[in-house]
Amino acid sequence: MLHLESVGLRYGQGPEILKDVSFAVRPGDFYFLTGPSGAGKSSLLKLLFLALKPTRGSLHIFGEDVSGLTHDKLPRIRRRIGVVFQEFRLLDHLSTFDNVALPLRVAGKPESSYRRDVLDLLDWVGLADQARALPPVLSGGEKQRAAIARAVIAKPQLLLADEPTGNVDPVLAKRLLHLFLELNRLGTTMLIATHDRGLVRQADRPVLHLETGELTLQ
Amino acid sequence: MKPGSIIPSNVASLKSLTVTMAVMSYLACLAIGALILVDRAVTSWTSGLAREMTVQVRHVRSVEIDVEVEKARAILTAFPGIAEVEVLDADAGAKLLEPWLGSRSLEGLPVPRLIRVVADQVAPPDLKILEERLAAVQGVHLDTHRKWEAELTRMARALSVLSYAILALISISAIAIVVFATRAVLQANRHIVDLLHLVGARNSYIARQIDGRFLRTGLLSGSIGVAMGLLTFLALGMTGAEGGGGFAAASRGLLFAAPDVAVWSYGVLFAVPVAATLICLITSRVTLLRRLGVVT
Repeated sequence: MLHLESVGLRYGQGPEILKDVSFAVRPGDFYFLTGPSGAGKSSLLKLLFLALKPTRGSLHIFGEDVSGLTHDKLPRIRRRIGVVFQEFRLLDHLSTFDNVALPLRVAGKPESSYRRDVLDLLDWVGLADQARALPPVLSGGEKQRAAIARAVIAKPQLLLADEPTGNVDPVLAKRLLHLFLELNRLGTTMLIATHDRGLVRQADRPVLHLETGELTLQ
Repeated sequence: MKPGSIIPSNVASLKSLTVTMAVMSYLACLAIGALILVDRAVTSWTSGLAREMTVQVRHVRSVEIDVEVEKARAILTAFPGIAEVEVLDADAGAKLLEPWLGSRSLEGLPVPRLIRVVADQVAPPDLKILEERLAAVQGVHLDTHRKWEAELTRMARALSVLSYAILALISISAIAIVVFATRAVLQANRHIVDLLHLVGARNSYIARQIDGRFLRTGLLSGSIGVAMGLLTFLALGMTGAEGGGGFAAASRGLLFAAPDVAVWSYGVLFAVPVAATLICLITSRVTLLRRLGVVT
């Protein structure tokens, strides 16, 4: 599903953020990605959700070499990936419901076809009462849950999450972990970047550790 | 629950675009109005001029002028395509010279005699043959006003070309403004566009979200422009006295023409909002797809 071979990344003429990163993720895998701040976790995730291209090495996603991908092929691959952004990236002028439904809406599905699913998911993440609320009135934890709901609503084959439990209390973090494990059990491949050692311990899944741009499997 | 609009509705650059496009549409209406007025005025002048001709018979030594005038009248009356022949008496000629020579008697002066000729508009006479026939009359000269007609046509053509050039410049400026506004909208909503890309939106989907706004902007600004244009022609029409001619009469003629002419002129004026909408829609769509193709 994911295959990285000697991948390097640098921004402009700056230092190399990722150095010779090589790893493979098979369908159904569940990995955590850990490492200190500034180690390159977010940059690695950006490579994986096709917001950046590697400056060297080869990266294959769903069997496709991203270096040869044209603009018109990107949406097809991105629709198979769910992303939880560290900074949430909710649209402030859209309701929580509309934010969560966004991936289905851009895929051309009518509102009537996804309304029930979105409301159920909002209920599940504890945001049923906030369906009509705009993101600026949500707390950090609520925004995080809305961002997670948006990432999973289209049942992606691969879920990439950047600090998905960074703003929630331990009880909700545990619930969200169960959601991720459940999704993984149903076939979604997971890669979760986190600082939360408790979360990693609870899940008992393999950890990719990134430090000064170099990746090791722990 | 109706889904909210993905691109926020209060886009500042679209408000500026509405004002600018309304002014452009207004100027386009004025240019089109001028084009119609020039066309109509020239048609009426030239048809009047082409209809009327003057035959002048000058005094020639040892030739009786009345005999020559009668000869000319006979030729004209018999000539096919002549609807009316009126021999003006000697006093009429003197009257025409009054502004230059005053009202004193012109007795003894060789004032030419004039014959007013009205051509049949349906089957006009062959002027070349008529001139040949009239050559039998001594001192005769046929004035067909063709020189003036040619001058008027040349002037009208220059004005028409100028109006078309103004319309072309307005269109080019409008396109440039829409390109600029489209880029501004994209820039202002960059974070939304980036997110839409990341959740798998196609460029055509994103373009549709934005260019709907441009469609509404074009329609609104074009309608404001044409309404302002019609109000201007109405105001101009009210400034002059009835039957006074000039701008006022021309503007009234544009607004209150006969139904067959009015349909055409109103049709052309109301094409302005359609053109403004198409310019907004097509230009923004092309710009969006080009810009979205370079940002991922």
